[in-house]
Amino acid sequence: MNKLILSILLFSNLSLASEGNGENNHISIIMFVLFVSVTLLITYWASKRSSTADGFYTAGGNITGLQNGLAISGDFMSAASFLGISGLVYLTGFDGLIYSIGFLIGWPIILLLIAEPLRNLGKYSFADVVSFRLNQRPIRILAACGSLSTVILYLIAQMVGAGKLIEILFGLPYYSAVMIVGGLMILYVTFGGMLATTWVQIIKAILLLFGATVIALLVLFQFDFDLNLFFNEATSIHKKGITILSPGGLISDPISAVSLGLALMFGTAGLPHILMRFFTVPNAIQARKSVAYATGFIGYFYLLTFIIGFGAIILISNNPAYLDTSNTLIGGNNMAAIHLADAVGGEILLGFISAVAFATILAVVSGLTLAGASAISHDLYANAYLRGKQSEKNEMLISKLATILLGGLTIYLGIIFQNQNVAFMVGLAFAIAASANFPLLLLSIYWKKLTTKGAVIGGSLGLFSAITFVVLGPVVWVDILGNANPIFPYKYPALFSMTITFTTIWVFSSFDKSENGYKEIKKFDSQYFRSQTGIGIDAKTTH
Amino acid sequence: MQINYKRQLNALIKLRLKIIRPLLFLTIVPYFCFIGVIAFKPEMFSPFIFDTNISLGIFLGLVLILLIFIITVIYVYLANKFIEPQISVIRGNE
Repeated sequence: MNKLILSILLFSNLSLASEGNGENNHISIIMFVLFVSVTLLITYWASKRSSTADGFYTAGGNITGLQNGLAISGDFMSAASFLGISGLVYLTGFDGLIYSIGFLIGWPIILLLIAEPLRNLGKYSFADVVSFRLNQRPIRILAACGSLSTVILYLIAQMVGAGKLIEILFGLPYYSAVMIVGGLMILYVTFGGMLATTWVQIIKAILLLFGATVIALLVLFQFDFDLNLFFNEATSIHKKGITILSPGGLISDPISAVSLGLALMFGTAGLPHILMRFFTVPNAIQARKSVAYATGFIGYFYLLTFIIGFGAIILISNNPAYLDTSNTLIGGNNMAAIHLADAVGGEILLGFISAVAFATILAVVSGLTLAGASAISHDLYANAYLRGKQSEKNEMLISKLATILLGGLTIYLGIIFQNQNVAFMVGLAFAIAASANFPLLLLSIYWKKLTTKGAVIGGSLGLFSAITFVVLGPVVWVDILGNANPIFPYKYPALFSMTITFTTIWVFSSFDKSENGYKEIKKFDSQYFRSQTGIGIDAKTTH
Repeated sequence: MQINYKRQLNALIKLRLKIIRPLLFLTIVPYFCFIGVIAFKPEMFSPFIFDTNISLGIFLGLVLILLIFIITVIYVYLANKFIEPQISVIRGNE
């Protein structure tokens, strides 16, 4: 069954690709088939170890700090950030750096505030932590809504990007590209669970870091590694000249600046697929190590994209081979890194980077799907619907069904949104993560007086307001829906929606004088003890 | 015994705060200063540093990336060196 699907997928991939602009992408197809074969072998190996809930959600909890650090970076560094940020640097220079730093700044926050308590209190999902001393059912439902909206928005953005990218790189039609990505993702996650997903992410992280390093070194080699000469060359070629070395108006008003800053800083700490990775390590020591490794890899990766973006300005922006008739890059600005790979490393590097981009998409969507599936099976089904009285076997069945359902939904939405502007969706996912998931997690760990009432009212309002502000704001209301003026004036809602969340949680928890609220506050001390020391995690948890 | 145990736990929490607070400060303040300059006074980032062709903004941006990584390394080092032994003591008393 497994093999059948595999051969169908690979066959359709190869035959379709050769119908497209076949000649120049043999290498990328060979590399990609190799990647898929290796990862499917891993999935087969992992399938025997993923039959228990523990194996499925956490890979058995025996991943080391270094492995998890690589997997986290593989989970986080999407094709969108590789191609998007290098494309943004190519287009605007300095402004690309603002995004790189924004995507990195969340990591110390995760490390200092979240990672260790999360590992010490949770088992399979971040809702375990939030509901540790609160009323299971409402909290689980709320956390699952936050997780699922983040995951689905992120998945749509990745899927649409993937379809378009693969269309350009491999000459595959959009539909089959989306089907292949969706199909492989379902295979990895249903059969191999977290173990297969982890290794797909590790392999992809190594490939991506290696590929980007090679491009950056080949670029810098042309300038004898002299950064002075390098930047001088870039400013003399770019049509905006010297201004590409300073801020160029990506953010102009202070409220947007702070709001975007908050979303990026705290949103990362509320992404369910990232949080889930901390349950794969055995203890808090490994959890904290994995963040330091991940931050190192991701930071290094952003330095590379910066060099790649500037390299593209110098080496391809004047080369007619990479430009179309209107003098813009073939395939758009996001293709800067891909074209640069060809310019400095020829067909082999181009093929390698194309395959890596494909692998990158697979690793990210697999992590997202697994997090979404666990929200459905572990939080909604096992704990909210069955109130924790489930059999593990049933929960596993539901998690696999949920994976297939989410995979199907993603393919469907990927096709629906093909010609829509989906760039805002990642921003919205970060806004929801920062306005609903992160405050719930932070306050449940550190604030004694948090009660179910406050968490449910504040969390729902945060989720709702983040979505509403984006829909009524300039990006959706004006750009997509075509209205003349936005009802909510700012592009980034986090400053407002986070304020709403924290204030309402504070107000409704403080005024909650119910008996349940009193009991929940009383349970804080023992929870805090466990979150700080990790004592008690070895014992079987009773939720 | 109970009092001794509580004292150890409080010491642990205090120690953690002592390590986390300055590092949190080092994360949040430089980042919002960076974003603040971009929003309010972007021209501040334009001049070249020393006699290179690298602008102050790019230099500080790259330094910030490095700083973020260093913060995580410092925390891991301090936590392993100071926090873990204290947790072991409490664990021993359990």
